Amino acid sequence: MADARSIARNGLDSLLSAGAHKAQCRATLAARHEMNLELGEITLLRTTFDTSVRLTAIRDYKKGSSSINKSDAASIQQAAHEVLAIADASAPDEAYDIAERQPTKEFSTGHDSPDLDKMHVRIKEFLGEVESRYPQVRIMQSYVDFTRQSECFVNSNGVDFVSNNGVYHCVFMFSSKEGDKVSSFNYTGCSLRDLEKDFLDSALLDTLLRQSVEQIYARPLQGKFVGDVVITPQCFMDVLYFLTESISDSALIGETSIYKDKLNAQIANPILTVHSRPVSDEICDGYFVTRDGYAAENSTIIDKGILNTFLLSLYGSRKTGLKRSVNDGEAFVIEPGKTMFDDMVKSVEKGVLLSRFSGGSPADNGDFSGVAKNSYLIEKGKIAYPITEAMISGNMADLLMDITNVSAERTDFGFAVLPYVAASGITVSGK
Amino acid sequence: MQENRTTRISFVKGHNVENSRSSDSGVSARAYSNGSWGFASSPELHGDAVKSVIESATQNALFLDSRENKGRGPLPGVACNSENDFSTKKPRLGQKDLLDFAKELDDHIERIYPELASRVVTINCLDMEKTLVTSDGSFSHSMIPRAYVLVLMSVVKDGQPIEFYRPYGGFGQFEDVLTSPDDLFDELEQQYQDLVKKSEGVYPDAGLSTCVLDAELAGILAHEAIGHTVEADMVLGGSVAGDKIAKEVASPLITLIDFANSFDGKLCPVPVFVDDEGTKAEDAVIIEKGILRNYLHNKESAASFGVPPKGNARAFQFSDEPLIRMRNTAILPGKDKLEDMIASIDDGYYLVKPGNGQADSTSEFMFAVTLGYKIKNGKISKAIKDTTISGIAFDVLRTVTMVSENTHWTSSGMCGKKQPIPVGMGGPAIKCKINIGGR
Repeated sequence: MADARSIARNGLDSLLSAGAHKAQCRATLAARHEMNLELGEITLLRTTFDTSVRLTAIRDYKKGSSSINKSDAASIQQAAHEVLAIADASAPDEAYDIAERQPTKEFSTGHDSPDLDKMHVRIKEFLGEVESRYPQVRIMQSYVDFTRQSECFVNSNGVDFVSNNGVYHCVFMFSSKEGDKVSSFNYTGCSLRDLEKDFLDSALLDTLLRQSVEQIYARPLQGKFVGDVVITPQCFMDVLYFLTESISDSALIGETSIYKDKLNAQIANPILTVHSRPVSDEICDGYFVTRDGYAAENSTIIDKGILNTFLLSLYGSRKTGLKRSVNDGEAFVIEPGKTMFDDMVKSVEKGVLLSRFSGGSPADNGDFSGVAKNSYLIEKGKIAYPITEAMISGNMADLLMDITNVSAERTDFGFAVLPYVAASGITVSGK
Repeated sequence: MQENRTTRISFVKGHNVENSRSSDSGVSARAYSNGSWGFASSPELHGDAVKSVIESATQNALFLDSRENKGRGPLPGVACNSENDFSTKKPRLGQKDLLDFAKELDDHIERIYPELASRVVTINCLDMEKTLVTSDGSFSHSMIPRAYVLVLMSVVKDGQPIEFYRPYGGFGQFEDVLTSPDDLFDELEQQYQDLVKKSEGVYPDAGLSTCVLDAELAGILAHEAIGHTVEADMVLGGSVAGDKIAKEVASPLITLIDFANSFDGKLCPVPVFVDDEGTKAEDAVIIEKGILRNYLHNKESAASFGVPPKGNARAFQFSDEPLIRMRNTAILPGKDKLEDMIASIDDGYYLVKPGNGQADSTSEFMFAVTLGYKIKNGKISKAIKDTTISGIAFDVLRTVTMVSENTHWTSSGMCGKKQPIPVGMGGPAIKCKINIGGR
């Protein structure tokens, strides 16, 4: 079978032969080995191979793209002709472009192949531990996989990047049941370089399983108040997704972003610093090449509360006249604070420890509302009891400004490194 | 063997930010050995690749069986045959035709509604074509398409962006669903008027409230709140529905069915005739006049519960294993008129359009509301801002006191559960008590 570089080269040559003035091709070969877990058993071993060839052409400032999952010459040639037809159908736009030439480079991280026996042993150990420590817990719709990906990005300006990575991924979903009482399901996941560490010690899993058992006897929240929220590392990703959406192409080109005039302005409390570090040792599941074909670099998105960069693509940059981002975002690393989690809780008079937010996508202006799942009431500096039927509402932009604390402890998810974050001014309503 | 074909075209404020097509095809095999499953897939479709995939799936099942030793017997299966190709009979439109369609809509919106701060027009088409053979003797070939134009309008009010999004389209290829941009102009006018009202909207009062959920919200209620809770893997995982078969879980006004492919003599938005395990798809009655009757099953869970499977095992891509999924889930219509339902409320809300939603093992659900109004003294009052509603599904359904006589189906979103998959959701309007988020 052809390697990613020869497939990508073939794609690029086909696009140029078909008449592209500028062209790029990203070819990806992926092999995935996955074990599925359901109710204390390994139910399925899954092996999938896939190919992705993404072809993009620009002719007369018109652009078209197509992706196929075949790598033979005839399929690529046919797809290249289709891409040119798609491009010809579009309206011209001088902002369409491809990445400039950069030094050819090959990146590599992780293992080449999975250790299936070890994967099986680790899962059995995990299931055994869960059964003995938390007999009420039911693991469902969970999996552990190893994905090996080889990718090549080439374009007609001479960009030629190859990246190879092999990473384990774990996703665990669970609820707990005793008699006819059941807890809300919860989930967590992480990326791992290897299988040296117990799954229970990853991604706050042990804590979440313990809490799942406690939550069998969650009580409906009564009344309504405005208070503090202590957001778990996993749950804070929802805030980061809102931020990312608001500073990316669509929101900035469409001029719907509340941050469109906020570059170099304060958008969060100065105790918050958010990095995107796709090529850092802290992140085992990052990326080396951006979607536009630039070698990815680390960046600081929020520096002590100041918005330091937008996440604009090459096209977004040309359309808005603003600087292109040096990466595609994600791979978030938040600087730790100075307060331990327990002390953060002690400083809360009345609030909620928010472990999972089940709510509608925030509006463009940042307004959000939803259910506080797997969460706890905090009263007078103590975690009181697990709650159910509790809704929270507020505004994401306000929440970032109203951050009161960032924990010293951080959780390493492999794809992100995040602390607990506390904020004030959240409306909490129960029955 | 399966091929998913997509077309995506998007204009953001007149800028053509996406213009692409994709095709993902390949072959997969699933093998069963004494209670352990093996699965394998490959994008290659030639004979050797197919043979290799079958061997690999078998080896995976044997690998797991050798370590798990579950010792379970074979699963029952009944052969069935089905051929359902819903490709358009009209000449296919090219990319330029679709671009022109989207551009004409975008130009119309820009021209007629200059007050808009922003707009997004997106064409999104998905064709799913698959062929299935099983060792039970089943054979199925299907081509199930859907085509949508998604329109987002945005205004700025008091310095804050307010948006409202609507999908137009449904089951079928683009040529059969969306014939001319003009056909959508009336609906775009309604969308704009709704956005204007929403931009002047107020925050709802947080807490429990009497509401009329219009048909689209009742559909997502049927899907999120009940449908997920009665999927047999959720039930085995501890879902609260686990102890409730033959018990009253809703008002007697509520009958809820997961339709396989047809309702009231017409095709549902996501018709399934044979599922991805080769089981003939039949309607699954979940709640009958308030009584919980059935869960949703694949072959394995059906055998475990001692009931026949109804064809709920579905996979999204060729590289996906089948999971227990809904097809077209709907509450059956009642006898009330929507205006009477609104008139019966002194202080509450009329909630009209949904956003995303999520279920839970406790049956506590939530979904977003993107358009709604206050009801004061039986009359529709001020619009409300985006909000979220939630409740314990079985508690909420017990509070239903009125059900409207109409049924409305939607299918523009994707249901997420390890894999995405298109589903249909339908229903009448219902009057119930529900928790509403606000300030």
